[in-house]
Amino acid sequence: MALLETHNLTKSFGALTAVNAVSLRIESGALHSIIGPNGAGKTTLFNLLTGTFAPTSGTLFFDGKDITGTPSHRIAHLGLARSFQRTNVFPALSLFDNVWIAAFARSPSRRGLTWRRTDHYPEATERARAALSDVGLGEKANQLAREISHGEQRQLELAIALAAAPRVLLLDEPAAGLSPEETRQVVALVRTLKGRYTIVLIEHKMDIIMNVSDRISVMHFGALIAEGTPAEIQRNPDVRRAYLGGVAA
Amino acid sequence: MRALILILAAICVLPLVVRPAIASEIWIFAIFGLGLNLLLGYTGLLSFGQSTFFGSAAYAAGYLLKHYAIGIPLALGVGVGIGALSALLVGYLCVQRSGLYLIMLTFALNQLFYFVAYQWTSVTGGEDGMPGIPRPALLGVDLRDPQHYYVLVSALFLIALWLMKRIVESPLGKILQAIRENEVRADAVGYNAPRFKLAAFVIGGAFSGAAGVLYAMLFGIVPLEAIGFVVSGNVVFATLIGGSGSLYGPIIGSFVFIWLSESMSVMWARWPLLLGVAFIIVVLFFRGGVVEAWSRIWRFSKRTT
Repeated sequence: MALLETHNLTKSFGALTAVNAVSLRIESGALHSIIGPNGAGKTTLFNLLTGTFAPTSGTLFFDGKDITGTPSHRIAHLGLARSFQRTNVFPALSLFDNVWIAAFARSPSRRGLTWRRTDHYPEATERARAALSDVGLGEKANQLAREISHGEQRQLELAIALAAAPRVLLLDEPAAGLSPEETRQVVALVRTLKGRYTIVLIEHKMDIIMNVSDRISVMHFGALIAEGTPAEIQRNPDVRRAYLGGVAA
Repeated sequence: MRALILILAAICVLPLVVRPAIASEIWIFAIFGLGLNLLLGYTGLLSFGQSTFFGSAAYAAGYLLKHYAIGIPLALGVGVGIGALSALLVGYLCVQRSGLYLIMLTFALNQLFYFVAYQWTSVTGGEDGMPGIPRPALLGVDLRDPQHYYVLVSALFLIALWLMKRIVESPLGKILQAIRENEVRADAVGYNAPRFKLAAFVIGGAFSGAAGVLYAMLFGIVPLEAIGFVVSGNVVFATLIGGSGSLYGPIIGSFVFIWLSESMSVMWARWPLLLGVAFIIVVLFFRGGVVEAWSRIWRFSKRTT
C-alpha cells in the first residue's frame, strides 16, 4: 500500500510552475528517490509534502487520509519528518537538546510542559539519545551545535529528523557539501535506515542514488518524466536527455 | 546553588546599605526583568512595550486596593491576571509579525495603553497619577513599615525566581529557545511557533503584572509614567546590562540600574549619561552583559593563577 501519495500536485509562484501535476506513490518501507537537474522542483515538492507550502492544486494523501493544506507543524505530528538541504539546526543549543526538541514534539503527552524538568520525560530522552547514536554523534551530546564541523552538522540534521520517530523520512540532499569521506558515512547511514523507515530521498550524487534506491522518480521542469527501478532509469532515454542535453536543447 | 546563596546574601545585606524602599524597588524591578527576559533572552523577542502589562496591573490592583480595600493576595492575583490578560491581547497581535515589526507593534500598543490611561482621568487620575494606594496588613503584619514590606517583596521575588527557573528548565523553556534559535526548524519538528511565542508573552506579562502591583504598593501611587515607554525601555535596558542570556542577568541588571539611578540622580542630574556609557560598553564588548563580563574575568583569573 502507498503510505504517501500525491495526485496532480501543482505549485505555481506567479508565472512559474515549480511543480507541475506530480502524481507519486511512495510505498510503505521503500526508499524512493527523487532526482532531477537543478531547479527541477525537487525541494519545492518536498515543501509541499511537508506542508511548508500549500499546493496551488492537487491533493496529498498520507496513510489513506487527505492531508492537503495541513500546516507543517501539524504534519510533523502525523509522522512525516524532514531534513533540510541547507543545515537547519538550533546553533546555540547542545546536540542533545537539538534532538530532544524533536523527540518531545512527538511525545504523546505534554503534561508538565511548563514546570516539569526536561529529564523527566524518559521516552523522549531515550529517543533523543538513540537518534544521536544512530548518526554517530552520541559522544558529543553536550557540545553546542554551532561548535561542531559542517559534516557533523549534516549528521545532526538527520538525527533531528530521526528523533521525531517518523513513519516517513524525507531527506533533502543529506550529502550536500560533504567531502567524499563524509559522503560515504552518510550513504552508510542511509543504508542502515533503509527498511526501518519509509524514506523519500532527494540527491544529486548519482552513485548514491543508484546504490541505495528501490525506486526512482525523475523530475524535469517541475514535472515527472520517468519512474522506475535504478536499472530502468539508467536505460531511460528521456532521463539521459534531461541530464546530458535536455536543458540546452 | 551558589547563585541562590549570593541572592539570599544580597537580600539580607541590601536593606543595611540602601533605604528599604530602594531595596524593595530593586527586587520588584528584578521580577519585572524576569518576565521580560522570558521574551527577550529565551524566545528572542524584543518587547518594547512591557510597561503595558506592568502599568495595567498597577492601575487595576491599585484601583481595587484604594476603593474596595481588597487584601494583598487578591491584589497580587488581580495584577497577575491583568498582566497576563493584557499580554494575551498585545501578544496575540504582535506574534503575527516578527523582527522589527514585532518591536514596533509592542511599542505602538504600549502607546495606545498609555493614552488610554492619560485620558481616563476618572479612574487613573491621568497626568496626576493614581495616589493614595494603601498597603493593607497581611496576616496581622503591618506592611506600612517599609522593612516589613521589604520582607514581603523579597519573599515574592524568591518565589518568582523559583517559578521562572522551573519554566525555563521545563520543555516550554527548551521550545522557546529552539524557536529563538531557528523558527523554521522548530515549526518543521512540530511546534506552532506563534502559539508558543504567545505563551511567552502571557507568562512574561503575568510576572510584569505582579511587579506592577508591588510597585504601586511600594510608592502608594501609580504615576502615569508606570505605563509609559520610558519604563518599557528601562527594563529592556536593565536586562541587557545584566545579561539577557541568563536567568540571573535581569536580577543583576535591576541591581545596577536601580542602584545607579538612585545614588547618582541625587548627585548629578545628568546621570543617565552614565547609563548610556554603560550600555554602549555592553553592546560593543559584552553582549552577554554583566554575567558575561563576570564569567570572562573569572576564566581569565583562573588562567593566570
